[in-house]
Amino acid sequence: MLREIWKHRVVYAAISPFYLLFGIFGLFPIGFSLYLAFHKWDGIGDMTYNGWGNFRYLVTDNEFWQAVGNTFVIWVYATIPMLFFALIIAFLLYAPFVKMRTLWRVGFFLPNVTSIVAVAIIFGALFANNFGFLNYLLQLLGLPMVQWLNVPWGIQIAISSMVVWRWMGYNAIIYLAGLQSIPHVLYEAAKIDGATGAQAFFRITIPMLRPVILFTVITSTIGGMQLFTEPQVLVGNDGGSGASGMTIVLYLYRESFINNYFGYGAAVGWGMFLIIALFSIINWKLVQGKK
Amino acid sequence: MKTVQWLVLCLAFLTMFSACSEPSSSESQSSETNLSNRKKITLTLWYWNRSIDDELLAQAEKQFPNIELKTQKIGGDFKAKLKTTLAARSGEPDIVALNDWMVELFPSADRFYDLRELGADRLKDQYLEWKWNQGITPDGKMIAFPMDTGPTALFYRSDLFAQAGLPSEPEKVSASIRTWDDYMAAGEQLQQKFGSRSFLADNIVNVYNQVLAQHTNLYFKPDGSYIGNQSPDIRLGWKTAVDFHKKHLLANADGWTPEWNASVNNGKIASFVGAIWMKQVLTEAAPDTAGKWRVARAPGGDGNLGGSFISILKSSKHPKEAFEVLTWLQNPEHQLEAYHKIGLFPSTPGVYDDPIMETPEPFFGGQATGLIFATSARHVKSSYFGERYPVIHGIVTRRLANVAKQDANPDALWTETMDRIERELQR
Repeated sequence: MLREIWKHRVVYAAISPFYLLFGIFGLFPIGFSLYLAFHKWDGIGDMTYNGWGNFRYLVTDNEFWQAVGNTFVIWVYATIPMLFFALIIAFLLYAPFVKMRTLWRVGFFLPNVTSIVAVAIIFGALFANNFGFLNYLLQLLGLPMVQWLNVPWGIQIAISSMVVWRWMGYNAIIYLAGLQSIPHVLYEAAKIDGATGAQAFFRITIPMLRPVILFTVITSTIGGMQLFTEPQVLVGNDGGSGASGMTIVLYLYRESFINNYFGYGAAVGWGMFLIIALFSIINWKLVQGKK
Repeated sequence: MKTVQWLVLCLAFLTMFSACSEPSSSESQSSETNLSNRKKITLTLWYWNRSIDDELLAQAEKQFPNIELKTQKIGGDFKAKLKTTLAARSGEPDIVALNDWMVELFPSADRFYDLRELGADRLKDQYLEWKWNQGITPDGKMIAFPMDTGPTALFYRSDLFAQAGLPSEPEKVSASIRTWDDYMAAGEQLQQKFGSRSFLADNIVNVYNQVLAQHTNLYFKPDGSYIGNQSPDIRLGWKTAVDFHKKHLLANADGWTPEWNASVNNGKIASFVGAIWMKQVLTEAAPDTAGKWRVARAPGGDGNLGGSFISILKSSKHPKEAFEVLTWLQNPEHQLEAYHKIGLFPSTPGVYDDPIMETPEPFFGGQATGLIFATSARHVKSSYFGERYPVIHGIVTRRLANVAKQDANPDALWTETMDRIERELQR
């Protein structure tokens, strides 16, 4: 084995930078966070060994479980409409009757490269309780105002809508690439057989897109579980009123960097890792499912 | 063939390393210039925007010809950056400005110089005693030196008060609204006049914070024991804040939000108790109401909220010089100047009688608000916070906010809060 490596030393040397960088910036932090999860550390002083203490605290920590619940709710609110609309947009972008397609594609992708902090400020102004734009519209229509940032579902919808706004175009572009890879002959054959547009969409497009859909579901699951900037900028480190916008990563951040429980923060991180792994497997099974 | 591959690889690495090594050549140049005037020492100072007057820092170069003062304005989350730097034990500044969260650093007091050992005690009587004491750990190490303070007072709209039939001149307001109950009564009168067009105060958490700012028995005693569940002052704060909510005296606008800015600008908030640094926040948020605001003594007594400190890190190689710079920056004369230029309120009572304090302020209808805050600052009582204050205070205020925002039951929430703190203290 070592001889083999020595024989191909040039090749190994050539690919070594990646492994060196990965070791320093990837592997070491992972190992360190595992070590940290079994210790108490205020971030500056000495670490003291805490055994399973952090994890014992974690499983009985209501605030952590609330954060897990919030994250799931926000994920559901965001992912389902996002992927649905992304598919429709992709279909339209692919449709021959749409003019200036490149312009549209760029337009839909643009939110993805916008500064998230700026986005959160704009959404904050949209959803503001008394002087927000949405409430202004509701009042114009003669409807009662909604205390968006006071009630749990209001906060969660505000955060979800930011996620949808930002990632819809991104997923649409991925779907578009998937659509373009479906052979044209299939549609032509369907047309000859007298299939309607809807039939072609549900019988050809969707099944052929299955792997792409699986990919977007998994990535948006991981992304959704790691939601942080949107709630942090919109409702602050405490997750807003009633901690309804407190997500798992925001909780991790607050416990570590605001409350200085770095060991506990690491334990939260590992808890989150387990949840994401579990959730991804379930998703994969569900979406791939009946074949 | 092999040799060619090796050559290419070596060349690639060479270009990489030569790119990396460039800074070091310029470093060697700067060390050469250091050799020419070898006595000049370098001190690094970290501060955030508007915590120290920039012009004063520029003058420091002239004042200390043997010191090269490298000032770094740290943006973003200052506390997190300082803490990660302390944890990394490298790249630490010599002198660092700290906000009132500096109590969190008490367990790490050994990372700072004890300023008393550097001779701070001879300056003690120039500074407010309660402020001075805040920088001292329970076992007597002085790790933080006073910068500005945050005396509190009542900010109110004189026009709205007058329309509601309340006293509107600062002296009369100070004289007639003396307690939190007086203040609430004024709020009810305001409510009769304006309904939900205008509220007495901004939000429930601010009421709680302001009551606490006026009292001394907070969550901990200096020996570290927790007293929050039995402290009459904590209970008073909670009860007062809940009463404000029950009587519908709050506009429910959180601080530091566009909502708050809009509410002060369009008259939805008729008054609030706040620290002196709210002057600037208010002036910027409510340009349409210029001239209508006044400042009176705070109901319930004088208090302090916020204010900053400045420290020398143990890693500094030149603590004596750092101490000289630090005390020069924060001497009474310069604190007065900082008040005049950027509104930082001095912690040196000797300058409170200076004519600058009597400068009329157009935004406050020509009132000289400095006098009110000076009186307030003189009467603040010494209180002990403890390094877990921020965490515990966060637990309480988050639940208190639910009382106002989600109409949660305050009594059930009080019990829940006390249980939650109990759990917190055990970890």
